Amino acid sequence: MSVTLESLATCFQGLLPAQLFTCSADGIPNAAYLSHVEYVDSSHVALSYQFFNKSRRNITENPQALVIVLDPDTGQGWSLRLKYVRSETSGPLFDRMALRIEAIASYCGLKGIFKLRAADIYEVLRVEPVAEEVGSQAPARQPSANPIFTVNALQTFSDRIHQADSLESLVDSVLRALEETFGFRHSMILVPAEEKDVLVAIATRGYPENGAGAEVRFGEGIAGMVAEARKPIRISGLLRGTLYALAMHREAQRPEAARRRIPLPGLANPESQLGVPLLVRGELVGVLCVESEMPYRFHEEDRASIELLGSYLAIAIQNMLLQERSESPAQPIADAPAKPPAMSELTSHASRMANPRLPERIEVVYYAADECIMVDGEYLIRSMPAKILWRLLTAHSATGRREFTNRELRLDKSLNLPEWKDNLESRLLLLRRRLEQKCPHIGLVSSGRGRFALDLRCELALIER
Amino acid sequence: MIDPDLRAFLEGGLGIHIGSRTARLEPNGARAVAVKPEDDGLHLIVYVTEVASARVLPDLKANGAAAVVFARPVDDRACQIKGIYVDARPAGDADRPFVERQWDLFLGNLEKIGIPRIASGAWIIWPVVAIRIRATAVFEQTPGPDAGALLATRS
Repeated sequence: MSVTLESLATCFQGLLPAQLFTCSADGIPNAAYLSHVEYVDSSHVALSYQFFNKSRRNITENPQALVIVLDPDTGQGWSLRLKYVRSETSGPLFDRMALRIEAIASYCGLKGIFKLRAADIYEVLRVEPVAEEVGSQAPARQPSANPIFTVNALQTFSDRIHQADSLESLVDSVLRALEETFGFRHSMILVPAEEKDVLVAIATRGYPENGAGAEVRFGEGIAGMVAEARKPIRISGLLRGTLYALAMHREAQRPEAARRRIPLPGLANPESQLGVPLLVRGELVGVLCVESEMPYRFHEEDRASIELLGSYLAIAIQNMLLQERSESPAQPIADAPAKPPAMSELTSHASRMANPRLPERIEVVYYAADECIMVDGEYLIRSMPAKILWRLLTAHSATGRREFTNRELRLDKSLNLPEWKDNLESRLLLLRRRLEQKCPHIGLVSSGRGRFALDLRCELALIER
Repeated sequence: MIDPDLRAFLEGGLGIHIGSRTARLEPNGARAVAVKPEDDGLHLIVYVTEVASARVLPDLKANGAAAVVFARPVDDRACQIKGIYVDARPAGDADRPFVERQWDLFLGNLEKIGIPRIASGAWIIWPVVAIRIRATAVFEQTPGPDAGALLATRS
């Protein structure tokens, strides 16, 4: 074989459909489109078997096949003369192909319908250029000529992890490193929420909205699929745009109550997405996702490298949470005035002087049954972060206290935090982010490890319903 | 067999490929640049570049068995027409505006899903051979459980 399969790596990522030609035992040819041809090794490729269609029937009768793939970087077509070898219904290759199909299908609510029955493995007998599909003169991508995952880059990434002194600085510096060092401009980190099989975004980069608090169910979109499968997923391809639009359409048709959630930030037209699970000894501590408007932005080596970065990040997040818990001050901080302050005392004049557009007074309503907070009629946050914020605001209103500790929140029975692995730090982080974006009149300012202060910039009317 | 709705779909700027096979049942295939269903609803002309036709015409002339697959890039709607080779001729100047218009529609459809024309800018689309096929069956081929369903047949 004069042209190696390795040199056609970009053809095997599904941006342009491939064509499959087969022939039945009685001599009737068949032509079909394929979304994806999977590279197996230097002399084999795999095709997905999802439905018992004519192509599949033909292969059982006559193992000869022809596949035409296109190089998306140059437009050059390549014909692969194939011979069917065997089918696999389990194992790493099957899992990889099945996951990709599930991830794409999940976008249009077809999860479970496009199931992979088998990975059909073919020996590649010959590879030839397609005469009419001539490649353009544009230079082909040469990843090895300008690698981004160098030892130096990894060292930089590692340094940022080691220098982080809080969960907030850790996730922020990691996403910044992904952009500055590796060029991935749009990224996010999600962690498991209190609700089972739900992820919540705690940090994003490259989007107009910070999206903190946005929730994704396991199995939904790339982050949910990664969480469910606990395996990396890389998507780029022909179906992305269409499927994304369908997903948006479905979202618009959801009931109002279901839409009263924070939308996950995302590119309007992501051409490439990559998600990796953040695992520590098999436990999911989060999901790291990157996306791009460029087709084929993420290649196989990117997946492997980001998976490696993810493994560092997972341990770092886990360590940060455990360290924060072990170092939290044992007692609440007693710096509060003895009696509740008047409403006017809750206002920081300095803050309002600095930003005259801030209102004098806002209404904060806590819906206890829904564990949800609305500010001036606008949804702010729900679940544990909402309970925590309400606890802080009511404590402040009652006693005038501004300083709080993580420890006292853990001991507060009304919050009902789990004894072990409460993820309090990540809940506080997303609460802080959400406030920054949607309610700048209330700030949560870190005042040391395991401590923070309320920074109120206007009067609050607290109402519980 | 090819009703007006199907004809409008086929002429809407689709990805088109024609398949054939050798005497030893080896499949062959090539991209087509345009298709023109005839008014009788039974025949269609598949325009294949001369250089690509070299891969399928010998088979078609030898045994006649043809398969033409059509797919619309924007929504993956697809169908396949099985048929019998009738004849082939070099496409002339009279065909060229039609062929180029349909090819342009196809590139426009690719653009709608984010594939720029530069990716296909160097592809050869002329000279072209007009291959006439008599359709014998039409199959659904949109991805999904119904792919492969027979839509129309005529022996």
